[in-house]
Amino acid sequence: MNRPFITREHLKVLIKVLKSSCDEFIAPRREHLTDIVFGDAKTGGGELPDYDGNSVISPRAFLLPQTEPLFEIKSARRSELAPIEDKRTRVFYGVRPCDIKALVLMREFFIEREFADEPYKTKMGRSTFIALACSKRCSAKAFCDEMGAGPVAKSGFDLQMRAVSRGYIIDIGSEKGEKIVGENKRLFKRASPQDEKEAKAVLKDFTKEPEKIDYKKLAKTMANDSVEPSVWDDIGQRCVICSGCVTLCPTCGCFSVVDRISGDRGERLRYCDGCPYAGFTRMAGGSAPFPLHKDHIRRFFEHKLNHDVDRYGTPSCVGCARCIETCPGNISIRKLIREAVK
Amino acid sequence: MRNEYLPKQAVIEKIVDETADVKTFTLRVKDKSGDLLKYKPGQFMMLSLPGYGEAPFTFASSPAKSSRFQISVKKIGSLTGAMHNLKVKDTVGARGPYGNTFPLDKMKKRDLLFVAGGIGMAPLRPVIQQVFKNRKSYGRVEIVYGARTPKDMIYTDEVKSWRDEADTDIHLTVDVPDESWGGACGVVCVLFPKIKINPQTSIAVLCGPPLMIKFAIFDMLKLRFKEENIYASLERYMKCGIGKCGHCYVKGKYVCTDGPNFSYAEMKKLGIAS
Repeated sequence: MNRPFITREHLKVLIKVLKSSCDEFIAPRREHLTDIVFGDAKTGGGELPDYDGNSVISPRAFLLPQTEPLFEIKSARRSELAPIEDKRTRVFYGVRPCDIKALVLMREFFIEREFADEPYKTKMGRSTFIALACSKRCSAKAFCDEMGAGPVAKSGFDLQMRAVSRGYIIDIGSEKGEKIVGENKRLFKRASPQDEKEAKAVLKDFTKEPEKIDYKKLAKTMANDSVEPSVWDDIGQRCVICSGCVTLCPTCGCFSVVDRISGDRGERLRYCDGCPYAGFTRMAGGSAPFPLHKDHIRRFFEHKLNHDVDRYGTPSCVGCARCIETCPGNISIRKLIREAVK
Repeated sequence: MRNEYLPKQAVIEKIVDETADVKTFTLRVKDKSGDLLKYKPGQFMMLSLPGYGEAPFTFASSPAKSSRFQISVKKIGSLTGAMHNLKVKDTVGARGPYGNTFPLDKMKKRDLLFVAGGIGMAPLRPVIQQVFKNRKSYGRVEIVYGARTPKDMIYTDEVKSWRDEADTDIHLTVDVPDESWGGACGVVCVLFPKIKINPQTSIAVLCGPPLMIKFAIFDMLKLRFKEENIYASLERYMKCGIGKCGHCYVKGKYVCTDGPNFSYAEMKKLGIAS
């Protein structure tokens, strides 16, 4: 049987239904004239049912926000603490496949490993993900196809939409997604053979066979120190520690913790941190095991391109190219990868 | 919901001034449920002082049936500074246990060398206590302990009492002696010639400042200790203790969950053999 299909008109109705089903409807909106930014459109509206390109920041910003309370401090003096639970349900609408793959990797890291990260787990459990497959390359620098993350997501979504001329073909990725389709039967039809044909055709931008990245070779090159030391020197020199890469990377999740106290009450917050910073590994007393800047940057790349291949079988770079676009020093992870597998 | 980041309350029952800047706190956990008290030698906990933050401390006492444990704290930063101002009956936050343990099973029937520098004796104390508790299960024990000055040694009475254990020797050294000091002078390595165990079959466990670890391992390898039989307890900046915050990450491993105790063979792989 053909896959479910929804027209553009019906999609607007579905968006209304989804909005009423959640506390926050996180959707792409246009801000500052051109930028696509995810934001809560439940009451304010302004969501884009479809859009070109990709958002400036991935939906990670809602799952690992810049600052987030871990618990409440009822009395600092007596160490009286109370849990804080984010009870909001969220629908993430229009998430690109690269960011969906990032969420799959982040789930593995934050939820499946030995200790679950409760705040992240809770939020993920209360979230629904509607992916929007890409029909065009979002930027000349993006290389999601080489990293096996796009233009169409393979898993990690509840529903995925693929644009064709009449509307969208729907992939169901989970029971949650199946339920949405089941409960809104009147909005969905079945895709026609013509729609299916078109869906294949719109991927023409990606049809040129991507240079398949050999992950194992990549990891091995990185592990064996086969990358010319001068490459790390060069990258170290060009990095100005703006931390744009770690702020925008959908698979970066490092954080630091601070207590914010007023009087005897307050909360313990975690906030996004990044390995390029000089103080990232510095301990009380001042000793830092990795004092050199180039080693910080090297660690960033090695983590994503080597160690995570060992751990997950895939690099934790999804080819979204946000770090490349933002880097004032023109450092390109794609170039590094190409260099490494050459 | 079990939020791993939420510490439990622990009350300070006793504070011992070990040195001018090291205090040993005996803490009693108010709520005995949970895993905190099920720790093993070598593991650590996150101690928190709301308003000052949280930092990892290795358990400094051998696991007991009571709801108490000890940690030794050197005044070195803002959290440890604040801790030194605490008094008996004050409450702190504690969560854990985290990290791996010393290889107590592998150590059985073998001769053992413990090398500690300064506050580095704290993580070794529970494993030494455990060894003496089951004295017959282990071979000869040599303990080398170095500190900056005689006044910087911690657990002095207890360390002296270890001399009474069967087939055990204690060697002490200081960098800067005072008039009362009759022992050796210099880095811990100067005492290695006095050790009466066979390096090729023995297990060595170290904890101390990075430089001490570096040179002690260098000399141990010359004595023909095997790389996989030298263990060190490492220290890293940590914010979570559960392999999430990324600060202690090194070459695909998290010192908090994969460590903090690594063999020299593992350290070499991680490129942190210093």
